[in-house]
Amino acid sequence: MLGAASLGAHGQSGAEVPKRPLGRTGLEVSALGIGGYHLGSANSEAEATQIVNEALDAGVNFFDNAWEYHQGLSEERLGRALKGKRDRAVVMTKVCTHGRDKNVAMRQLEESLTRLQTDHLDVWQIHEVIYENDPDLIFAPNGAAEALLAAKQQGKVQFLGFTGHKDPSIHLKMLSHGFPFDTVQMPLNCLDATFRSFETKVLPEVTGRGMAALGMKSLGGSGELVREGAVVVTMGLRYAMSLPVAVTISGIDSLDVLHQNLEVARGFQPLSAAEMQSIRDACRFDASDGHLELFKTTKKYDGDLGRRMHGFPSSTELPL
Amino acid sequence: MPNTNGNAIPLRQFGRHDVKISALGFGGHHLGDAPDEGTAVRLVRQAVDGGITFFDNCWEYHRGKTEAWMGAGLKGVRDRVFLMTKVCTHGRDKALALRMLDESLHRLRTDHLDLWQIHGVCFENDPALFIRKDGAAEALGQAKKEGKVRFVGFTGHKDPSVHLKMLATGFPFDSVQMPLNAFDAHFHSFEQQVLPELNRRGIAALGMKPICGHGEPVQKGVLTGEEALRYAMSLPVTTTITGIDKPEALQQALKVAQGFEPLQSSAMQSLRDRCRTYAADGRFELYKLSLKFDNPEARLSHRFPLDSQQVEVREMLKIADNSGHPFPPTK
Repeated sequence: MLGAASLGAHGQSGAEVPKRPLGRTGLEVSALGIGGYHLGSANSEAEATQIVNEALDAGVNFFDNAWEYHQGLSEERLGRALKGKRDRAVVMTKVCTHGRDKNVAMRQLEESLTRLQTDHLDVWQIHEVIYENDPDLIFAPNGAAEALLAAKQQGKVQFLGFTGHKDPSIHLKMLSHGFPFDTVQMPLNCLDATFRSFETKVLPEVTGRGMAALGMKSLGGSGELVREGAVVVTMGLRYAMSLPVAVTISGIDSLDVLHQNLEVARGFQPLSAAEMQSIRDACRFDASDGHLELFKTTKKYDGDLGRRMHGFPSSTELPL
Repeated sequence: MPNTNGNAIPLRQFGRHDVKISALGFGGHHLGDAPDEGTAVRLVRQAVDGGITFFDNCWEYHRGKTEAWMGAGLKGVRDRVFLMTKVCTHGRDKALALRMLDESLHRLRTDHLDLWQIHGVCFENDPALFIRKDGAAEALGQAKKEGKVRFVGFTGHKDPSVHLKMLATGFPFDSVQMPLNAFDAHFHSFEQQVLPELNRRGIAALGMKPICGHGEPVQKGVLTGEEALRYAMSLPVTTTITGIDKPEALQQALKVAQGFEPLQSSAMQSLRDRCRTYAADGRFELYKLSLKFDNPEARLSHRFPLDSQQVEVREMLKIADNSGHPFPPTK
């Protein structure tokens, strides 16, 4: 295991979380973003609200969400927490058609706007592009891609993107359509670097096209990397944040986790190339069969709605 | 069941060797699902009488029960069959593999296997762990030299690229087993990526999962069990291993296999076309996309999580059950 002390200092306490350009959009976003799923998992609405407020005060302005998280609770909590502060935040949510058509997407958009108590989204992404035929379904006539363009034209969303956690080849298929995506979200962590790697296969394509890369699953999705001893929290997070991404979206379900992550993110300075390489090397064996990146190798992180739309067993019937 | 219709199951050559085995193989895993040993023994006998000569098994199936039942069923007819079982090191070492071999031989009541295969080569580092110094590859070589096994191979159900990595180790495999069906033809395809390579190298190709493991596409009405088995058996394979847990399953398989004639290429194409849209997201090939078909031995060796609802896990826990009632009874 790599100790935190072996590789440079933490962020600077008291400093703000630095901002970075969101690709070519002209927006600036904080290097650390608040993951929406975990806002819905927080013990109470009060704690979720406090997470949002403290994050804003620390300079965090990027907030992730999705129409399907906790049946809408995640969007509702974020909407209430941002009341009166909407203009301080870059709000992203995701549409969950899972292969269904434009009309479904447009209905979900209205619901998301209502729950988030806003008249527009800064970024609207297609959620969970993880099945191999998803790109075909999304770009089929009357598919979700048309909804993205329509929503942008109507001024309801400013920028467009997609996300998925399964396989770099599916992301590349999405990019091959030449659609003007502004953002692409993907799992990025120190194990991904050597296993079915988004870092090596997708990230250069995304940045090369001027799109903003959004990192997620910096610690494996539920802290697997840390729990199983592959890396310590600070080092795992610093690795992910040092990649050429606009923001690393981090699932934060308690103030303790927020404080821990802010300690890394305040005044963040990227690791050197040599430090990055030594972390990759130390994680190589743990990475080599994907047992800590369960979102790539099992069904564990695949949502029930997507499974249903694709004819797969539910998470109760097929947990892994 | 005696072969009354006069149509034998065709025999096919086992790779580059001068040995022939039946085009239909008896899958060992499902034998452990039979209600009792008597039924299992009868199934094995009926299969031998019906012309099946290839018998599949595995050290870890039902905690050894299927090997024991197959051993009982083959008593007295062992020399009429080509017996295969698999070793479950899942990346662990040679010494463990050789211990498992002795256990398998004991359970199967035989002094040698016709074929011994590495089981469940599914994870991307399995090939590297297999070929490392003191790895399972050395066990295969040694068992062959000692005359305990005639031929060696490997099997896996996950990803063609992992199979190709195994072949790239350069180890002299006699056989390779893989899922082959009309869905696989379109999706992470062993048929496209691995099968031609085996044929080119003279390695015996053994097909499995002709109805996708548990027959989901048959239950959903995409194709019949007979169509699915015919498709798989018409591919350039030595045998197609199908799971047999009851007399009806055996009859159904024998009906297809006895006097089997491969499908024409146009019929193959029409079955593939029918499966195309269902194949596109892998919904019927859960062995490729989930851990459902990965046994606890494999998961534990690779530190993947267990699923407490999985039959194999329940069997594993049952063995560890404490029947001593250590707690005072509650009223």
